[in-house]
Amino acid sequence: MTRQNIFIWALLMTLTVSAGLLSRVATAYIIPIIIFLAAVKFIAVAFYFMEMKMANSFWKIFLSIFIIAFSVAILKFIY
Amino acid sequence: MQIDYKNLYYPPGGILLWIIIFIELITFGIALIAMVYVSKQEPALFHESRLQLNTTFGTINTVFLLTSGFFMANSVHELKLNNLLKAKKYLMTTMLFGIFFLILKSIEYYLKIDAGLGMDANVFFTFYWMLTLFHLSHVIVGLIILAIILFGMRKENNTSVEDVEASAAFWHMCDLIWLLVFPVIYLIF
Repeated sequence: MTRQNIFIWALLMTLTVSAGLLSRVATAYIIPIIIFLAAVKFIAVAFYFMEMKMANSFWKIFLSIFIIAFSVAILKFIY
Repeated sequence: MQIDYKNLYYPPGGILLWIIIFIELITFGIALIAMVYVSKQEPALFHESRLQLNTTFGTINTVFLLTSGFFMANSVHELKLNNLLKAKKYLMTTMLFGIFFLILKSIEYYLKIDAGLGMDANVFFTFYWMLTLFHLSHVIVGLIILAIILFGMRKENNTSVEDVEASAAFWHMCDLIWLLVFPVIYLIF
């Protein structure tokens, strides 16, 4: 069990609980924050748990482009 | 033999699995974007329907999957250090949290069906059932793959690090998909 994995897990737990609590707040600004938190969690899992930080830049860029495009599309259509 | 992960053709888990992962992510991504697009036509219906979902169940299930992924990452790490006993222990813990996910999802489905919120209740629940059931089928396949890997590790110790890495990549893919599904279905409408 590495210290890095424990840190990433703690970060993921904090962001997950935060997103769950934030969704109960009824303001229009919450949605971008929830999507941003999901994108951060996505990158954390892919880069650290899946060890993609060690992979060729192509894979890292492709993953990053995917999650940015997904987030932008969701925010574009939700408003 | 040490794998050079910097090589374009050898990402952790293998290139074929990463092609599958991207196809899956794009499939779920397009379906979720379509759901948000359709919600524009009936925003009130989507909001009312979303309020009928149990956000706490969704959050706890996210915790289960991410904790499962955490133990999977540790299992691969220990296997690379030749700590087979620890690797097996972490792999079993990974599966345990995956089973917790299945149990809670089953309870959630039972409550939805009991409340008459099946696939044909409205367009929101059509998306809800299709996307979460499709994700659930991946979790079940992932658990079967992990069980095969665990059996291989127990029986003759002939499971390679590459096999475990590929299985781990599939399991983490379930996490990645859920990280897209959870906020869109349970939180934003």
